[in-house]
Amino acid sequence: MRDGHILEVRDVTKRFGGVRAVHRCSFALAPGKIYGLIGPNGSGKTTLFNCITGLTQRDEGEIHFKEERIDGLRPYQVAHRGIGRTFQIIRVFPELTALENLLVVTREAFDSARRKAMDLLRFVTLDRLQNEYAGNLSYGQQKLLEFVRVLMTDPELILLDEPAAGVNRTLLNELLAAITRLRDQGKTILIVEHDMKVVMALCEQVFVLDHGEKIAEGPPAAIQADERVIEAYFGR
Amino acid sequence: MRWAILAALPIGLLLLALYPMVATGYGIQFMLQLFMWVALAQSWNLISGLTGYVSFGHVAFFGTGAYGAAILVSKHAWHWVPASLMGGVAAVVLALIIGYPCLRLKGPYFAIAMLGLNEVMRVLVSYFEGLTGGGSGLSLPTLHASRQVYYGMGLAALAITGVAHILITSRVGLRFMTIREDEIAAEAMGINTARYKLFAFLLSAFVPGVVGGLYARDQGYIEPISVFPLLTTVTMIVMALFGGKGTIWGPVLGAVTLFIFQELVWARFLYLHQVLFGAIIVVVVLLMPKGILGILQERYRLPRWV
Repeated sequence: MRDGHILEVRDVTKRFGGVRAVHRCSFALAPGKIYGLIGPNGSGKTTLFNCITGLTQRDEGEIHFKEERIDGLRPYQVAHRGIGRTFQIIRVFPELTALENLLVVTREAFDSARRKAMDLLRFVTLDRLQNEYAGNLSYGQQKLLEFVRVLMTDPELILLDEPAAGVNRTLLNELLAAITRLRDQGKTILIVEHDMKVVMALCEQVFVLDHGEKIAEGPPAAIQADERVIEAYFGR
Repeated sequence: MRWAILAALPIGLLLLALYPMVATGYGIQFMLQLFMWVALAQSWNLISGLTGYVSFGHVAFFGTGAYGAAILVSKHAWHWVPASLMGGVAAVVLALIIGYPCLRLKGPYFAIAMLGLNEVMRVLVSYFEGLTGGGSGLSLPTLHASRQVYYGMGLAALAITGVAHILITSRVGLRFMTIREDEIAAEAMGINTARYKLFAFLLSAFVPGVVGGLYARDQGYIEPISVFPLLTTVTMIVMALFGGKGTIWGPVLGAVTLFIFQELVWARFLYLHQVLFGAIIVVVVLLMPKGILGILQERYRLPRWV
């Protein structure tokens, strides 16, 4: 692990036609920390997530995870290396039950997978709904299900795309506590989030994107005071 | 419930196995075709019901198997049993060649590509006259084997339903379903969707090929329009949809119900039968897209093995 980083994004560029969604973007994550990725709508956050997880192929640059270069890998290969993600728009498997949603993603032996899945469902208080189709759960419940589905594969790096959006306050506090606990277990977490309160409460380091370029990086308090960040969000 | 099914199954199978001893020629023909439709609807279910890749050209595998087997029987004097199995192999080879590029296509594009495959196969078969007899068809040596073909068709239907059972009650089947549910999420969660899709596709091609070979033997004569008709694909789709796609017993239920219905209507109202069949398609698609078992499963929370 070079410089002790778990993930290193180096000069990554992605264009869609004439639009530069991400431009020469670089950052590195140290293991066991919570990072935030913020920026106005259309600043390239989700595209960057997609480049890291292989759902979109970057045009230029390199992405390293642990010792290995992972750009160019297929998404399932990236997942097998130990990167898990959630989506901005919920993507549970609606006609699979809550329990099946978890079981289907691991390659663990069935019995231990089932035990782990039930533990995770209990953890987000969905255990009584284990045999309910995921599509019948409420928005918040689906969000929680998607969150624990990521944990099912025990990833070392977890990318969360707007985990707080549409989640009520009680649930949100539980979610934040859960994310902190994961960090304490040694996981590395990168969060895309619009809710600045969440970013402030959780993240140790924040990257700011604007028009696909990284314009600032630092602890949340410093970021909030940064000229360029304020300008990006509110205009000059 | 589980025990009732487990007990009913061997008794039913035993009765079906003994049936040819008492049956009339018509009875055997009827059941043999019923088995054929169960096998075809179930095969379509494996790729389209589970992974959601709707194949509009599944009869291409049937026709390929029919021609493969018929050529081996009539030109190389093979026995029809190994010839039919080779028909299945030929269908799998075709699926391998066509699946690799076509399974990258999404939604309607895959359906249209499969429709095109069927047309291409029919034209190819017509073109290579030396091997296939072209438009004038291919005759197999006369042989009265309806009783044996009955067992062949029955085994094919049983085998593919067994495969459906194994898949749907295991994580492999659930992974097939994640492709139908959300392919991008499946891939991001570490499921090699390309491999699972191809696997499902190959599985779904083998039995139609075998059944095509058995059909050729039973009919004694095949021609391009008799083994590559679009209507056959449509019928297997409607049967699977009617019974409940993505379930184990849905395609069986759909094939049995609609085939009996078709025979009854066919005998009484020759011209009305197509109209009624069309009406069933409309009703199924509009009012019960999940099919009979799909509705029951949702209402009564039946486990997947039902």
